[in-house]
Order: sequence, then C-alpha cells, then structure tokens
Amino acid sequence: MILRQTIHSMAASDGSSRRNFLRTTLLTAAGMLGSGSLLEGERLLAAYGPGTDDPEVPNEEVARILRAITGGKPIQKGRLTLDMPVVAEDGRVVPVIIESDLPMASDDYVKGIHLVVDHNPDAHLAAFELSPGIGSVSISTRIKMKRTTWVRALAQTSKGEIWGAYARVQVTLNGCG
Amino acid sequence: MSIGEARIRVPERVTRGAEIVVNAIIAHPMDTGFFRDANGQPIPAYFIKDVVVTYGDQQIARFTWTSGISRDPIVSFTLKADREAPLAMVWTDNRGGVFKQSADIKFASA
Repeated sequence: MILRQTIHSMAASDGSSRRNFLRTTLLTAAGMLGSGSLLEGERLLAAYGPGTDDPEVPNEEVARILRAITGGKPIQKGRLTLDMPVVAEDGRVVPVIIESDLPMASDDYVKGIHLVVDHNPDAHLAAFELSPGIGSVSISTRIKMKRTTWVRALAQTSKGEIWGAYARVQVTLNGCG
Repeated sequence: MSIGEARIRVPERVTRGAEIVVNAIIAHPMDTGFFRDANGQPIPAYFIKDVVVTYGDQQIARFTWTSGISRDPIVSFTLKADREAPLAMVWTDNRGGVFKQSADIKFASA
C-alpha cells in the first residue's frame, strides 16, 4: 500500500500528490518508529487535515454532483461493486464494470446508476437509467480519465435508497485533453 | 467502421426467461472539445449523448453520456429474455446524428 502510494507520488508532480507523499512519509515514519509512536504519527496526520485523496471528502464540484444525485440521503456501501484497474496506462480507455446484487423486481429495483470521476472536466460522466427488464445490474463500458483520482459509482433504487462504490485509479496518460 | 455504424451482439439461441448479456458498439469519435489537431486547430466536441434501449415495444434502459465515454463506445448490460422480440438501440449525438441498430432475441426450439 505504502509502496504503491509512493510510486504514485513520484510519478505525478501536482499539489495533491505532494500532500499524498507527505502523508505516506508520515505513515511510513510512524510505522518504522513502532507502535509506541503511532499515536504521534496519527496526531500529525490529524493536524494536517484530510487531503483531496480522501474519498469521503470530495471537492466542491463533486460534492454538488453527489448532492444532486442523492438528495442528501446517506450513501450506503456493500451492495454495489465498481471494478476498475488500479493503474490505467492510457487515460483514454479505462475499463469500468459496475455490478450489484440489489433486486430488479417490478416493485423494488435499481432505477439509475451514476458514474462520477472526481477530476475529469465533466465529472458526472454518465448516467444509466434502468428498469426491471434488464434482470440485474451488470454494466460495463470504457471511459476517459484526466488524471489519478477517485471514480464513484452510485445506484439509486426505486425505494429511494442510495448505494455507492469507489475505486481509486492511477492514470499515467491524460485521456481528456 | 464509419461514424454511426453500430453492432449489437446477443446469444443466437436463448432459453426463455434466461438472463443474457447484450454487447453493443458504435463507431464514433467522442471528441471532448479539449484537443487540437495537427495544425493547432481545436477539435470541436462531438459525442454520443443519449442511448435508448427498447425490447419489443418497451423501453428498458436509457443512458446519458458525456464525451468522457471512450472513442467508439462499447456498452454491455444484461437482459431478461422473456419474449421473442427485437432488442433495438438508438444512439443520438450532440449534433443531432441519430443511429439505430437492432438484434432479434430468439428462443431455442425445444
């Protein structure tokens, strides 16, 4: 985990990556100093505050999109999966698979799936309006990504529940321009 | 494939009521509007923005896309094959281009 984060930090040079590197360094240092010093490390991290790399702290644009989709309802986890590569060499073609075991019955079904890519120019990338006729939620496509960031899949059920799944994808080549 | 040429792949023979996988592809540049050509001229946005899926006379899905979908968009999804009917898709782009394709869902004769 730490190694992966470090490699990412060296590959990119924007502000969030430097912060990420800082966090990684702090975590590594805390780890090396042993459990006695872990508390100190966590305190340093807490003092630094949440970075843009925390999926639970989206940027303003993404927060606005999420509010529009969820209507402020809590995003539940566990019934929706988002499969994406950990590293996408080419940001122009990044495979996405969205699956769910949520029911697709006539009185209880997933009526919409939303795909949000945090740092893309058009963050609300796609919406899939569904009906019980498709039998189950199993959608795949290919998307473009501008840079390393979080990708979010959100499912909205006919009963008004919101389910979410997030995946962090490292992008080497900008696919958006 | 030229722009708008589309293919839909479904299993040739289907068991009644089975859930099948539908694969669809359409040739389209999906230009974001952010890139420039070799002469430095901006390439205007040109992308599929709407996809409607109907099974027989019933609309079963509708996709709203942006230019964030990759060039020559593919999409796959499931279908509950409970009747013999055509599965039709209509792709519409941001310049008003409308492209259609369909595939017949046929049951295996027992």
